[in-house]
Amino acid sequence: MAQKILLVEDNPDMVVALRMPLEASGYQVFVAASGQDALRLVQELDPALILLDVMLETSTAGFQVSLQLRSPDPKSQYAAYRHIPILMLTAIHTTTSLRFGPDEAYLPVDDFVDKPVDPDVLLEKVRALIEPADLEADHLTE
Amino acid sequence: MELSEVLQRLVSTATKAFVAGGAAVWLLDETGSRLTAAAGYGVPQAFLQQDPLPLGNSPLAQEALAQGAALVTSAVDDPRQAGLPVEAASALAVPLGPGGRPSGILCVYGARPHQFDLAQAGLLHELAELGGAALAATHALADLEQIEAGKSEFIRVSTHELRSPITVSQSLVRTVLKGYAGPLTDKQKDVFKRISGQLNSLESLVNDLLDLAASQAPELAASEEPVALNSSVARAVLLLQPRAEEKGVTLNFRQWRGELAVWATEEGLDRIFVNLVGNAVKYTPADGEVTVSLQPAGQEAQVIIADTGIGIPAEAAPHLFEEFYRASNARTFNAVGTGLGLAIVKRLVDQFKGRIAVVSTEGQGATFTVGFPLYRPAK
Repeated sequence: MAQKILLVEDNPDMVVALRMPLEASGYQVFVAASGQDALRLVQELDPALILLDVMLETSTAGFQVSLQLRSPDPKSQYAAYRHIPILMLTAIHTTTSLRFGPDEAYLPVDDFVDKPVDPDVLLEKVRALIEPADLEADHLTE
Repeated sequence: MELSEVLQRLVSTATKAFVAGGAAVWLLDETGSRLTAAAGYGVPQAFLQQDPLPLGNSPLAQEALAQGAALVTSAVDDPRQAGLPVEAASALAVPLGPGGRPSGILCVYGARPHQFDLAQAGLLHELAELGGAALAATHALADLEQIEAGKSEFIRVSTHELRSPITVSQSLVRTVLKGYAGPLTDKQKDVFKRISGQLNSLESLVNDLLDLAASQAPELAASEEPVALNSSVARAVLLLQPRAEEKGVTLNFRQWRGELAVWATEEGLDRIFVNLVGNAVKYTPADGEVTVSLQPAGQEAQVIIADTGIGIPAEAAPHLFEEFYRASNARTFNAVGTGLGLAIVKRLVDQFKGRIAVVSTEGQGATFTVGFPLYRPAK
């Protein structure tokens, strides 16, 4: 079965640009256009990976989504989804000389993809994050 | 010079020139109906801090504004003593600024009665005129600064809005070019590559505009601190080494062994040297050479960026640091460029109290020298 990717992106044209390479590589892509939608769909779909834009309804809504999903509170309603890898879409590296990386407390994501997105780079990062864990499962079902 | 400083000099000069007990400048508000004490010399602090005075309550100011001068020879039994410091036994007042639209009054106070006469009004007028001119210049400058700040804010907001569609378009074009939207014919590929190139130029223009706006908006800038110039220059050289190699340009770096600290921001210095070394590499053809060196020179830390590139035509030199200016040979040699890089560099160098100079002969390379005051910690 195809692996599910939840794409959290509010710009429909960006969705097209990202969906094409992901689908061409055999992933099943679902789209959430807001932080609220994203949190709902995570529970509904239990995706293999979340591709999360920083800027949604506000300029940092993406951060809030990642903080909620990775909440260290064991009673959090998202506790079951903490393990899902998050790949964050951001233009920050290309537009400023700021260096920032994933940070468990402040920015709990696994990796970044720079915008404008190079589809080959995107696919490489997606594979790196979901294949090691799911490869075994795939072999078992075969 | 600040407005308060201009006025302070005016009142101290007036006091000395008239051997007076003191002097004050009163400025009219926008409605022209109230006076505020803006500067004083030889008058009590409380006198300067009093509430704005309705013009109607100051017959002396009214008369000075209406007649061009007002003289109180003996304050004791003169009704115009209202609005004078209690110590003043006599006073002479003239309007401040241009005849048609005075911005206030300049008044000298005497410790004795009969200290001034109307014949002296001419000299006081001259002083008031100079003061008024300085006042007008300060106001004009403040207006300009406000316009400039508005312009920066506009650029900052609009570049954010501009950047998003560019980013999305670039991502779409890359998806198509890499074949994820289906196979492309050679002609289609060629068209998409051209679109991609145009989008890249647009992106660099927008990024430069944002950089420029950021360097103009002080509230956005990081706070300045002592920064090692050595590391910033080394980073820029390191960053540009691959591009130089790709082009077949030799990039030499002569590091200075001791630390050269300057008062700046790291990000600002990085921008300066990435721009300057980047330009040197960009405008030097294959087999050419770029040499970056660092040294202390007197009170200064100097960075010299010398290249054997296309050089700068004499007619371009005065415009080099203007926004959007590109020398004719730069445009022919390299199509991509926004003409903002050096404007940003100049702005940042000025911000860090540095200086930048360029020596060049067209066709024979250029040498940029950037100097910053060496930072020495207080002992």
